[in-house]
Amino acid sequence: MALYKYFIKRLALTIPTLLGVSIIVFLLIHMIPGDPIDIMVGDRISAEARLALEERLGFDQPLHVQYWQWFTNALQGDLGISIRSNQPVIQEILNRLPATIELTLVALFIAVLFGIIFGVSAARHRNTIIDQSMIGFSLLGVSIPIFWLGMMLIMLFSVLLGWLPVSGRLSMGTAIPSITGLYLFDALITGHFEAFIDALKHLLMPAFSLATVSLALIVRVTRSSMLDVLSEDYIRTARAKGLREGKVVYVHALKNALIPVVTVIGLQLAKLMGGAILTETVFSWPGIGRLLINAIGFRDYPVVQGVVLFVAFAFIFINIIVDLLYAYLDPRIRYE
Amino acid sequence: MHSELKQVIIVYKKNKLAVVAFFIAVILMILAIIGPYISPHDPLEISHTNRFEEGFWDGNTEHILGTDNLGRDIFSRILHGTRISLSVGYAVIAITAVVGLFIGLISGYFGGVVDIVIMRFIDILLAFPPLLLALVIAATLGTGLDRAMLAIAIIYIPSLARIVRGSVLTVKEMPYVEASIAMGGGKLWIIMGHVLPNVLTPVIVYLTLLLGDAILYTAALGFLGVGIDPSSPEWGAMLSGGKDYMILGKWWITLFPGIMIFLAVLSFNLFGDGLREAVDSKLRL
Repeated sequence: MALYKYFIKRLALTIPTLLGVSIIVFLLIHMIPGDPIDIMVGDRISAEARLALEERLGFDQPLHVQYWQWFTNALQGDLGISIRSNQPVIQEILNRLPATIELTLVALFIAVLFGIIFGVSAARHRNTIIDQSMIGFSLLGVSIPIFWLGMMLIMLFSVLLGWLPVSGRLSMGTAIPSITGLYLFDALITGHFEAFIDALKHLLMPAFSLATVSLALIVRVTRSSMLDVLSEDYIRTARAKGLREGKVVYVHALKNALIPVVTVIGLQLAKLMGGAILTETVFSWPGIGRLLINAIGFRDYPVVQGVVLFVAFAFIFINIIVDLLYAYLDPRIRYE
Repeated sequence: MHSELKQVIIVYKKNKLAVVAFFIAVILMILAIIGPYISPHDPLEISHTNRFEEGFWDGNTEHILGTDNLGRDIFSRILHGTRISLSVGYAVIAITAVVGLFIGLISGYFGGVVDIVIMRFIDILLAFPPLLLALVIAATLGTGLDRAMLAIAIIYIPSLARIVRGSVLTVKEMPYVEASIAMGGGKLWIIMGHVLPNVLTPVIVYLTLLLGDAILYTAALGFLGVGIDPSSPEWGAMLSGGKDYMILGKWWITLFPGIMIFLAVLSFNLFGDGLREAVDSKLRL
């Protein structure tokens, strides 16, 4: 099966899931015990304003009509209006999206880079102190609550040592021309190096604490996969040919050892998206996770629905891309 | 049966780390039961004269782990929190086990349209990032430990149902099930008497591995203040309460509850891992 055919098949299989997810997200607002409008705004508004809100949210329509209206609007990028800020929900999401993307990508980068380096060195030095400490580290890493780790990092690096800022993305008075909204990238291409360092300092602790769990898992998988590969015949042959050990490990062995690692990396994106909600809360990082938690606190249900729908859809599409990547790397998958 | 259990215990005992984890887990369970009786103070008692007291490192014998921003005794709160975390964890396991088994058995045994509908619904639930799903369900249901349990169980029910369904599909084709059908056994009898006992091993392994995870999600909900009362002595909620005082140097409010979460999650994870290895080795024999 050609790759594009696989892609179309995979996309078609997604449609019922997308519909189902949207129905669940839509019904949420109707599952709240009691009257949703009362819970959202209480008696803070007049009877007329209440009627207007009811009409705006479409609560005077039958449920399926409401759903279809909401869903078709959502497909066109209209997720409704925030009750708290009166801004379009999609605008609120897009404003905060770059912060979350930047945090998640940098965390993924840290996890992959150090995960593979640590995993390979553990496998190379099997049963030594290096190996033992890597195993210990990955054991602790998967069990540590990342929000607590983030707080302890703040305690150490901000409060005690004063090296890194406690929260936010930039210091007061620092500005970066917004092109993509990814501060590190924008600062680099516009040549604002001081701002780049400032943004990096703000990003280090959140990204590191977010990366921990994935990093630990990648270390574990890389180590065991590398151990399997290193015992294969062709590695012995490569060594017998007199190749340098570094070349044997990093060129011959690593390439094959990485296949299971890629699978784990794909799965990590989901973890990172969930973890971002926690990390953003610890570091007051102005991303989508904060938006969601604030909206829940204010019972701003259009925003809650909008963010959940947006993230769930993004999650589904990321999974499709990861699947495609596997299909490209390993053609056998396409025939399953 | 007894010799099988013995075999599992022998293999488990060889894993020293798992043995240590088992004892920590047992201590935590005991604390969860007796904690509220041995706690020196009321975990909810607010005292404005005792705010931000330092603990034993400052020679404080009255509040050995210090007090928080409202003067509440941290040691007592942690003891009460042990009961909260562990009981939510066990409740999540119980809910997941009952609902997941039920759905998986029905779906796997009856097949057909029922199976298709159930599996589609499960696919939809699995399409959400887990924390997001729990968060939204908790936000919808409102505050309360019973609701938080439900919200967290929903993360695991789809996966367990899938595991059970897969095992049922295999077990269904076994000669002893066919024999029972030929003997005219009723559907309920066959499911409860033949299918259920034979799918239990993977279920038990999955549930043991889930406990640490469930405790972590409970703390996460408490920390985010969704579904769990922020004033309750839940470990995650305690972290959230102490967060703003950390930059003032009041580290003890957040250090100790965090250590408890870490310890509980770590020991239950190691216990689960050890158990899985032991059971796997038994299956191989």
